[in-house]
Amino acid sequence: MDPPAKTQPQSNDSDSEDDYMKMTFTDDPSTLASSARPSQPETSLQRRQRERREAEARSHVKSKAELAAEVEARREAAHATSLLTLASSSKPKSKGLAMMAKMGFTGGALGTAAKEGGRDDRVVEPIRIAVKDGREGIGLESDRKRKLREAAEAAGEVTKRARVDEGEYRERMRREREHARLERQVCAAQKVAESMDDERTEGDAADEGREEREEREAKRREAKKGRAISSRPLKSLPVMYRGLVKAREEGERDRRMRHDLEQSLSRLPTYEDGDEDEDDKRALDKTQTQSTTYVTADDLDDEDVELDEFNTLPMAERLQRLVEYLRAEHRYCFWCKFVYPDAEMDGCPGLTEEDHD
Amino acid sequence: MNYNASAGPELEPSSFPTQTQRVIPVMADKGIKRSSMDTDGSSDPKRAKTDPKYNKYLAHYDDNQAQNDFSSPLDQLERHKTTTQQATKCEDSDLNPWTGQPHSQQYFNILQTRRNLPVCQQRKEFLEMYHSTQILVFVGETGSGKTTQIPQYVLYDELPHQTGKLIACTQPRRVAAMSVAQRVANELDVELGQEVGYSIRFENKTGPKTMLKYMTDGQLLRESMHDHEMSRYSTIILDEAHERTLATDILMALLKQIAERRKDLKIIVMSATLDAQKFQTYFFDAPLLAVPGRTHPVEIFYTPEPERDYVEAAVRTVLQIHATEPEGDILLFLTGEEEIEDACRRINLEVDDMVRESDAGPMRVYPLYGTLPPAQQQRIFDKAPEPLRKGGRPGRKCIVATNIAETSLTIDGIVYVVDPGFSKQKIYNPRSRVESLLVSPISKASAQQRAGRAGRTRPGKCFRLYTEKAFKKELIEQTYPEILRSNLANTVLELKKLGVEDLVHFDLMDPPAPETMMRALEELNYLACLDDDGELTELGSRASEFPLDPALAVMLISSPEFYCSNEILSITSLLSVPSIWVRPNNARKRADEMKQQFAHPDGDHLTLLNAYHAFKGAEQSGADAKQWCHEHFLSPRHLMSADNVRAQLKRIMETHDIELISTPFQDKNYYTNIRRALLAGFFMQVAMRESSNSKVYKTVKDDQLVMIHPSTVITSPYDWVMYNEFVLTTKQYVRTVTNIRPEWLLEIAPVYYDLEAFDKGEIKSALTRITEKIRRRQAMKGGA
Repeated sequence: MDPPAKTQPQSNDSDSEDDYMKMTFTDDPSTLASSARPSQPETSLQRRQRERREAEARSHVKSKAELAAEVEARREAAHATSLLTLASSSKPKSKGLAMMAKMGFTGGALGTAAKEGGRDDRVVEPIRIAVKDGREGIGLESDRKRKLREAAEAAGEVTKRARVDEGEYRERMRREREHARLERQVCAAQKVAESMDDERTEGDAADEGREEREEREAKRREAKKGRAISSRPLKSLPVMYRGLVKAREEGERDRRMRHDLEQSLSRLPTYEDGDEDEDDKRALDKTQTQSTTYVTADDLDDEDVELDEFNTLPMAERLQRLVEYLRAEHRYCFWCKFVYPDAEMDGCPGLTEEDHD
Repeated sequence: MNYNASAGPELEPSSFPTQTQRVIPVMADKGIKRSSMDTDGSSDPKRAKTDPKYNKYLAHYDDNQAQNDFSSPLDQLERHKTTTQQATKCEDSDLNPWTGQPHSQQYFNILQTRRNLPVCQQRKEFLEMYHSTQILVFVGETGSGKTTQIPQYVLYDELPHQTGKLIACTQPRRVAAMSVAQRVANELDVELGQEVGYSIRFENKTGPKTMLKYMTDGQLLRESMHDHEMSRYSTIILDEAHERTLATDILMALLKQIAERRKDLKIIVMSATLDAQKFQTYFFDAPLLAVPGRTHPVEIFYTPEPERDYVEAAVRTVLQIHATEPEGDILLFLTGEEEIEDACRRINLEVDDMVRESDAGPMRVYPLYGTLPPAQQQRIFDKAPEPLRKGGRPGRKCIVATNIAETSLTIDGIVYVVDPGFSKQKIYNPRSRVESLLVSPISKASAQQRAGRAGRTRPGKCFRLYTEKAFKKELIEQTYPEILRSNLANTVLELKKLGVEDLVHFDLMDPPAPETMMRALEELNYLACLDDDGELTELGSRASEFPLDPALAVMLISSPEFYCSNEILSITSLLSVPSIWVRPNNARKRADEMKQQFAHPDGDHLTLLNAYHAFKGAEQSGADAKQWCHEHFLSPRHLMSADNVRAQLKRIMETHDIELISTPFQDKNYYTNIRRALLAGFFMQVAMRESSNSKVYKTVKDDQLVMIHPSTVITSPYDWVMYNEFVLTTKQYVRTVTNIRPEWLLEIAPVYYDLEAFDKGEIKSALTRITEKIRRRQAMKGGA
């Protein structure tokens, strides 16, 4: 009779899992001990420990599903191992195999080989046992599997098409070229968007203090030169071109770190040595480095879900977003390369590149 | 026709002596003469009676009578040179050429139908081929008449009364052997068990006069253990060879060898499927004779989508056929008793509704499966019911059958076949030693065979409850022969007894997997039937004398050592028949209560014994055994057949001087002895409980997890049990289980339970602890 489906007495499943595992291990020491030294009975302490462990293992009642899975696993395990390989490695040699060897068995199939030209369909392995559960009709299971496979195929069609075939090769090359082109365009659009945003923030700051403006002007010049690292936190930048800035900043940081590393004699430039005085610092060129770098470093390494999400979008989609962003924010059409005076953007043929052909 | 015979008063059939086997009427004698003159072979028995020239032979007849030595029309025939005409004449004569008795009217009626069988058209061709070759492959579809006719054609050519050698015709199934023998006895107008007999396990209905013997293939195999050359037979016909039963496969391999040694032995391999080439190639490119079947086209339909529940779909399909298709009976294939009864119930319910609501015709539903009582099996041949009222829609019958109805049974009137594509098949895997009946998809060959059942009387339809794609892709071409799906312990023992030394290169049509052979040899070695060199031991030789599995045979032979051979004999017999417990769906609870009356707390074997003893007691007290069985939910049929088996086995035990003893019932060891004796054969079928609060057991050595089958009477959670069989369904069960003590294992089967050879695990540690305990106890005794 089926064991009633009992709920686990243990608090959670991982516990019970452990118990089950233990069951196999607990026995080993005692088995080893008793088989290795059968004349020495185990001590009472050992026995008590063993009994406790065994009791623990036994107290675990398997659920129906667990049991069914284990039953099947055991059966499959047994069916997966050839007795012949098992027999040849077993300690006392298999008597059955020995008898067969005496009759001239050297492996392969039994019986006599088919006549020349005849088909040899003698079996070498036992027939597999397939247990059918329920009253499912023939083909249902494989049909289900097929549908699953088809769904998976449909999803990963691009990867599936890796087969080399002239048409497919051309298609792939075309796709790759297209992808590279889009990438370049995205990059260009990102640059445009960044510079336009920068210009606008400057315009906004126009009414601020002159000094500040001058300072920004200087910064901008510097930025024009080497696109120095901006002090703005990355996350405040629109996601459209945040990737661009981030990549640039990472590159910059790496470059500087490498540079600093090469410049400094042995230590990282940020290293604060208590023995150093101002002169020493100046001598080691530490004053400059400290003022500029490593400000955004923490920010760079931060996880950015939004950016990651944006980066997983297809290239074309990213480009489209950028184009839309530029239109909305700056009334600038990426394809016309023109800033329109009004929101209607009169004169621009449309959103896509095709429209501008 | 220029020659007529007339029977004078002296030739009245009644005037012939009938006691002697070879009393042959003169008239038949004349038939021979006549046939030598005839060329067209046709004859008219009525005209024969007016032949004026009979007197010449009458004198001859008188002489014969005086000497009690009669010439028969058959005497004029020359063995292996007969013609169809000669044989036809013998058949047409008024008197039975084999017995001398007059032919009955029924004989001539049957003769007429026999002459209409497709196979009859090819009698001439058959004889010519039979004369020219030692081995012949014959292909004829079910219903061609090959099973009944070919052996008779052979009979008229072999003339067994001249040689004293028999003709054997093997059948895969007991029932077929019995029913075909009966049919052929009727056709030859002889009494069953005389000229025509049958021999099946535990039942032999043959006599000294027997010339034609129908037998199960297993029975012929058993016989050949004592007659390696099969010298009793002049011809061996292997019928239904396409079924590829274990015994047929072994017989084919043996006959292939014997044919080389005995050039006088003729072999006919008969198959119902057209895949006969394999047989031809196997038998040294034997010639083939094929009889076209008398079949009509069958239209095949597939489902567009796979079915979620094939039983449900089958029931639906049957009802749909009944509602929409024209007259014609339905045959539905399902897998087993339970499923079939369930489907019958559902169809009956639905049909009642259909009749009430939509004026459908009546439909009678019959189940058909192996364990069904013969009388109920016979009902499938009943006529379809009449329309409910005059001019109403025609009635039909629906037979829900296992694959019995696939090849071996011919039911006329079937026009629609519903095939869900499954059957229960025996399966064995030597790696886990799992041996069970499992529901498995059928093969393409089986599916075609099933479809063919629809075209017996007129064009039919076959509804396959799977897609065409599934048919092409999922079904294997041919069903695996039984030899690839069986435990071969018994076969190996038989082959050893048959003198086959080299089992590895034994030329089987489909040799089994090497692992199966290895397992069988190992098991026989553990049972001490084979020694370490693979030679048959004394015990093995004795065990092979019993028509039983080696484990049962060894258990029976060793039982006197446990002072309970009477009881073990009973238990063995009870285990050799289908279950004696009856548990009808509508009275399960009462049946269980009744079973509880016989229950022994230690297990099912003892419970079986109790029930048997009670049955015998009731019989002896003069009670109506059938009634008593009915009241106690026991199967009288199976109990009686167990009783019969017991008598047969007892005879074998007596011939081998195996003592029949019992422990007195009052002795407290009465049941203990029996339990110990069981282990002498079944020590390899033992399981240990996994843990103290679990119902799960682990089988020894094979390490499979099992539960005790719900049919058990055991209620206590015993730690160690032995079991009779391993049942694999979606769960793994052991059935017919008895509580044992682990100490017994170490004592009774020390080789198998040699702890050195055990894999590490709970069972080994448990057994090690027990060894410790025994040793300590003995040490204490020794010290004291």
